[in-house]
Amino acid sequence: MNRRNLAFNVTFAILGSLIVIFIVLPLISTLLSTTPAAFLQAFKDPQVIRSIGLTFGAGLIATLVASITAIPLAFLLARHNFRGKRLLEAVINLPVVIPHTAAGIALLLVFGRKGILGQWFSPLGLTFTDNLAGIVVAMLFVSVPFLINMSRESFALVDEEYEKVALTDGATPFQAFLSVTLPIAWRGVLGGAVMMWARGISEFGAVVILAYHPKIATVLIFERFNGFGLAAAQPIALILILVSLVVFLLLRILLLPDHKESK
Amino acid sequence: MNNEKTPLVVFAAGSLIIPFDHLEKGFEARYPNIDVQAEYHGSIQVIRHATELHKPIDVIATADASLLPMLMYSSIDPETGIPYADWYIRFASNRLAIAYHPQSAYAKDINSDNWYEILSRPDVKVGLADPRFDAVGYRALMTYALAGQKYSCPTIFTDMFYGQFTFPLGIFSDGLITTVTVPEILETRPDSHVLVRGASVELIALLEAGEIDYAFEYESVIRQHGLKMLKIPPELNLGEADYQEYYSQVQVDEDFQRFSSVKPVFRGERIGYGITIPENASHPEEAELFIAYLLSPEGRSIMAGDSHEMFDPVICDQPEQIPSSLSSACQDHNTE
Repeated sequence: MNRRNLAFNVTFAILGSLIVIFIVLPLISTLLSTTPAAFLQAFKDPQVIRSIGLTFGAGLIATLVASITAIPLAFLLARHNFRGKRLLEAVINLPVVIPHTAAGIALLLVFGRKGILGQWFSPLGLTFTDNLAGIVVAMLFVSVPFLINMSRESFALVDEEYEKVALTDGATPFQAFLSVTLPIAWRGVLGGAVMMWARGISEFGAVVILAYHPKIATVLIFERFNGFGLAAAQPIALILILVSLVVFLLLRILLLPDHKESK
Repeated sequence: MNNEKTPLVVFAAGSLIIPFDHLEKGFEARYPNIDVQAEYHGSIQVIRHATELHKPIDVIATADASLLPMLMYSSIDPETGIPYADWYIRFASNRLAIAYHPQSAYAKDINSDNWYEILSRPDVKVGLADPRFDAVGYRALMTYALAGQKYSCPTIFTDMFYGQFTFPLGIFSDGLITTVTVPEILETRPDSHVLVRGASVELIALLEAGEIDYAFEYESVIRQHGLKMLKIPPELNLGEADYQEYYSQVQVDEDFQRFSSVKPVFRGERIGYGITIPENASHPEEAELFIAYLLSPEGRSIMAGDSHEMFDPVICDQPEQIPSSLSSACQDHNTE
């Protein structure tokens, strides 16, 4: 490596480390300032455990429900060009840029008791305000762009020729999608699903407007912080950080081969 | 440029959000070098921001003046070794009432005699501020406890709240005092007809969106938002000076043993708003100016313009501790 390259790499490494420190420092200080006793107590707190279970479960339901419609949409976007496609893609990405409290209000107007859809669902016994269904809807809305975008990119990488071969061999388009495209693209699709799930479980703004109860982890942390102080909120925050880290790490390991192949 | 302004941090009860917003504008027009930075929460949360989160706050205004001695006189700032506050000014009252909407369920049938029966119906959604954080929350529970006596119907409380929470509210009477107990974890069941939010002002938007049919609120707040108001009888609205004795027959006990050394007990009394300057305020002089402005004719007319009349004169607790610039506004305390 010559000297100019070295200077370049060192400069970039220093600048890059700064942002890593910026990310890691708050996490470490949360870890260090929580006493082990308080941490263990939070782990034994049934409300905390229930809340984390609810959060992860609701995120999972949101991801599964979204997959049914988001994956077909992603495939269409990857394979076809049509008028208004750019506009459609912009609309799909709107939830990323809308402030999430605003998203919560918008959802309340649709899924609330007097909302357009809320009115239809309530005779079926499905209500959204202060209910699991409300949490799922809020998580789904803010996080589905991740699934659509990553799946679309993954489908776009699959050579269309494979699908054409399957079709000339007598496969129906459904069979071609399920037995050719999806098996090749699954890692990207799953990666999108994981990102969607992760984004969903970290949601606060949209959920708190639609469903303050039952309390997901972010709402519980907010309530403990505001109502009972820092010492009450910190252990839960730490648990959420650690559990998210472990789950995320495991999934990254499962998905890692994809990174090597795509390089 | 305006970047030399002195920031004045005001933490106030959610029910003061509209009048204090107007007060802020008037105050900043009078004192262009001061920038009021206001935050609004449930009254208990307002105080906790000072005593537990150690935020530097210049003015604290709560919807329950009794919280100030209970939570501030009694707790010591670890940095200075002295209590967070040692005086307050009781500057206004209010009345509890029921806010609703023309489209609320049974809006045509409800009146000040049958409200408790209509609100207890399973198909009626009722908004309640969290009694652990907000004064409207525990005051509404007092109203329910008092209603049982007034209407000679002891099941009014349980008809409304039984089965609505994962850990139940309790109520018992020793013949003299009726006590309501609030559990540490207050969470509604999924099919509950009661909706709980951290602060009473959060219920306004839910009422406007049709999520709830009725909500317990202060009269001033209901008027400010132009909502329909059902007045409740003077024995129950906690706002009448003549019923001080009557109100003191009830109390609300909160169970916070895990997170706090203070176990709050709220005794029924006439609603009183309290304002003080915490001992660790960064800008105590500007804070005095703010309170003086509130107590001035201009401040009074702003409050009155937002349907929140102030006491005249205001009542001071620990008058000898009150900053001299404010003490002239006080009459002797305990002579309401």
